[in-house]
Amino acid sequence: MLTSSERFDAAGAPRPCGVGVGLVLLPLALIAYFNGIFLAFTAMVRRSDSPQRGAEVSFVIAWLLQVGAVAYEGVRVGYFPLTSAGDYLLVLSWIVLTLYLLVALRWRITQASLILPPLAAVMAFVALLIPARRLVLPPAQQKGWLSFHVGISVLGMGALCLAFAMALIYLMQDRALKAKRAPRVMERLPSLATCDRIGYHAVLWGFPLLTIGIATGQIVLWARHGTLWMGGPKQIFPILAWAVLAVLLYARLVRGFRGRKSAYLTIAGFALGLLTVLGMTR
Amino acid sequence: MLVLVGLNHKSAPLAVREKLGFSEAELPLAVERLVTGDPVEEGIIVSTCNRVEVVARAKDRHAAAAAVKEFLAREHGVSLDEVDKFTYELEGSEAVRHLFRVVSGLDSMVLGEPQILGQVKRAYEVAREAGATGAVLDRLLQQGLAAAKRVRTETGISRHAVSIAFAAVELAKKIFGDLGGRSALLLGAGKMTELAARHLVSNGVSRIVVANRTYSRAAALAERFAGEAVNWDEGFAFLERVDIVVTGTAAAEPVLTKAIVQKAARARRSGPLFLIDIAVPRDVAPDVNDLDNVYLYDIDDLQGVVDSNIEERRRQAGLAAAMIEGEVASFARWRQSLDLAPTITALRDRLHGIGKAEIERFRRRLGTLSTDQRQAVEDLTRAVVQKILHNPIRHLKGCATEGSGSDVAGLYRRIFDIPDDLTPAPDGSEPAAASASPEAPGAPGPGGRDD
Repeated sequence: MLTSSERFDAAGAPRPCGVGVGLVLLPLALIAYFNGIFLAFTAMVRRSDSPQRGAEVSFVIAWLLQVGAVAYEGVRVGYFPLTSAGDYLLVLSWIVLTLYLLVALRWRITQASLILPPLAAVMAFVALLIPARRLVLPPAQQKGWLSFHVGISVLGMGALCLAFAMALIYLMQDRALKAKRAPRVMERLPSLATCDRIGYHAVLWGFPLLTIGIATGQIVLWARHGTLWMGGPKQIFPILAWAVLAVLLYARLVRGFRGRKSAYLTIAGFALGLLTVLGMTR
Repeated sequence: MLVLVGLNHKSAPLAVREKLGFSEAELPLAVERLVTGDPVEEGIIVSTCNRVEVVARAKDRHAAAAAVKEFLAREHGVSLDEVDKFTYELEGSEAVRHLFRVVSGLDSMVLGEPQILGQVKRAYEVAREAGATGAVLDRLLQQGLAAAKRVRTETGISRHAVSIAFAAVELAKKIFGDLGGRSALLLGAGKMTELAARHLVSNGVSRIVVANRTYSRAAALAERFAGEAVNWDEGFAFLERVDIVVTGTAAAEPVLTKAIVQKAARARRSGPLFLIDIAVPRDVAPDVNDLDNVYLYDIDDLQGVVDSNIEERRRQAGLAAAMIEGEVASFARWRQSLDLAPTITALRDRLHGIGKAEIERFRRRLGTLSTDQRQAVEDLTRAVVQKILHNPIRHLKGCATEGSGSDVAGLYRRIFDIPDDLTPAPDGSEPAAASASPEAPGAPGPGGRDD
């Protein structure tokens, strides 16, 4: 526990401080992540079920530790910790892991073990590393538009991560089927239809969230800076990602467009979304 | 002693297998006749189109094997020489191993084929209902069936399709997931397309459209699947609507060119198209596979999938064989523990007998005792004997699990002067059940059932 002089500066506002608090929990979570990823990799190479189960247990532990890290940080600062890039990444990482556990345990898409958890682990790791630059917010702003904007955006980005993973698996299965040589690769991959369905639903949820995220972002920008355009990756990339997803959904809903090209577009949308996150950390 | 006399696709040609096989209707009576004869006490007959396996238990193994062969000859009216020529004969652990391998599909013509498990299960039910099995065969079959199930779930030996039609269905599932509600177009109404369609329908494909150059044949085939027959030219329009296309025409040139499929694929709105080309020469131009969302498998591709699946099954067979070795050993241990039962019983009887005799001898010296005192002396003696026996018996049972049970039993007999002509345990009596005096030889009744 921090003493009160560590926790507050002279003016009594919470000290600007990074995710450093998860000092114990977060590294432990990362250890669980790496253990899980290692086991998942072993399971893939040896094509055996028991390491996969071990991997899933590790990821559940990582999930719990991360809940702990977020909760601890929340208690420490007194509100849901979503005001610094580190917070954002930590929460996003946790959402990605949650979605992974959903697809792995609910639909047995074990292949996602080598996509989503590593992605989440990298995010959590970066969250641990980046310099702590928490915004010191007046309580009025801790709730309200900013929290809403960041909350919605992080959910949208989580959905996009899931869509990305499913697009990647779709492409792997597509290649295996086209190459006609690898029933053993195919065996562990879910069917194209399953990848398509889950990926599509992820985009279907992610798109409106992203839309609302961008709109509320504009409101926040206006409220704080009196302008609607500041440029910079934080503003440009979400709009690009949004445009890619718009094209994807339009083609799908109106023209029945799906398959490999859809998967490529999904990956592009995800990549642009990720650039936004990188922009935030600058 | 357990013996197994059998013939399979390796040892005997089909004509012989047909002659020596038992139909399902004959089986109950046949297995009853098998155990009515003298040496055979328990028996079971597994008869499929690829094999006949007779497992029998009798006191004497030579007599048992001969009796089973005679039985086969008598049942089918063939000469004993012929039976001899085409059958193999296994005993003890060899027989157990063979049976376990058979049930697990390791001995099947198609490695790992799962049907045999059901067939053995059925054969066991028949034998049990006919009263032909006793404790040993019950245990053998139950353990064998459980082992086969374990082999099936824990190794991939039965996992992958090893026929062209099944391979096609498996691929379709990798594309569409569930095949329920999917539709298929058959181009050509030959035997092969029909076979493929049958597999698709039994896996959930709900709508079949048949197009053939001769309409009447299309109509006949469509009727079998409650499908729809269309003229040859109309068939191509369905490319835009169905999910799966099976082609099997006798055309010399590809009937589906890249241009035709591309046009259809553009107009499609319903996801991927799976083309199964089982015609030789091919009906679909190979470059169709380059199109997005179109997956083309010709007969060679499917054969390639089948070959690699067979390869995989072979790899898994090694694993399965190791699992079966474990089961064979565990069965042997169980049998050994049965063999020890009479020794244990005799040992107990001997020492308790000494105790009783000594009480008698000392009676006079002890003088008149009250009932309570007498009881106390008897209890004391029994307790001492029990304590002395405890460790040797535990040790003997331990040796049984390690496989050296009979050696140690022999040693005990010498030490405690237990006669060697001791009745061999009637097979199948549980050690616990054999706690009375050594049982009389030939105890099992005519049905071969042990109590």
